[in-house]
Amino acid sequence: MADVMELTPEMKAAVGKPGEPTLYEVTSLGIRTFARAVGYKNPVYFDDDAAKAKGFPAIQAPPGYLGMPVWNPNKPSGRQATFESPFKRNLNGGTAVEPLERVFAGDVLEAVTSLTSLEIVPSAAFGQMMIRVSETVYTRKSDGKVVAKTRGTGLSY
Amino acid sequence: MPSAQTWDAVSEGQEFELVEASDSQRLVIWAAASGDFYQIHYDDNFAKNNKLPDIIVHGALKGMWVGKLLDEIAGDNGWVKQWDVSYRGMDIAREDVTIFGKITKKYEQGGEHLVDLEVGVRRKDGSVSTPGTGTLRLAKK
Repeated sequence: MADVMELTPEMKAAVGKPGEPTLYEVTSLGIRTFARAVGYKNPVYFDDDAAKAKGFPAIQAPPGYLGMPVWNPNKPSGRQATFESPFKRNLNGGTAVEPLERVFAGDVLEAVTSLTSLEIVPSAAFGQMMIRVSETVYTRKSDGKVVAKTRGTGLSY
Repeated sequence: MPSAQTWDAVSEGQEFELVEASDSQRLVIWAAASGDFYQIHYDDNFAKNNKLPDIIVHGALKGMWVGKLLDEIAGDNGWVKQWDVSYRGMDIAREDVTIFGKITKKYEQGGEHLVDLEVGVRRKDGSVSTPGTGTLRLAKK
């Protein structure tokens, strides 16, 4: 019979502990690529003049687009695992988005992610499964405003 | 594509839909936009070697299609206050999916004119792979 996995003290200690801040750059290229992939047509997501006609400083990010983390192969990501998972395969279980402020090209956001819940549950398909729920708060560096909150559910088996 | 709605004009039970294609080119553009380069979404051989029938649509892209539907209903004068989706099943690429929203509650709260919706991604066979909910603030007429 396979071992029954349980949460370790290290795993339990990770719950509620905020991770290191990660910088996300919101660029016009990133916004346009996101808007193209999702299939938006609204010109404020593509066209500087249309955005400025609305009184915006630059093209706006569609809801849910919060930039890309600054990639540097010589620096560790701020989203380092705080414990070693006994499960090796991962699935995206769900997403929640709460947009709070308009986000524009040129914004730099600081994202802080906290693991809000962690459990190991029985699974008919896999025997057991780990469910992690994490929340990320995105704060604009230039004015200190929280522009969005997201919640992600990760499934590991 | 749904047009922007005002709070006065909508009613509980009203439904909105849009159809999205999930061809491989689109999934590659999404990979670039999201930074999710897991090969099960664009590499046929990799997907099949991982016991999948074909490449599959990114869960997050489905979530953002729901966000787009909500954004189009809200229009420039409204606001998407929140949405959430659960990825309950895989959607095989190269098949159109329908993104849907149905108003379940119309109300005023804190001076805002709001609607709650049941949202999701529906496959061709009618099954819903990605159920969720959303809340919009709509402009008054």
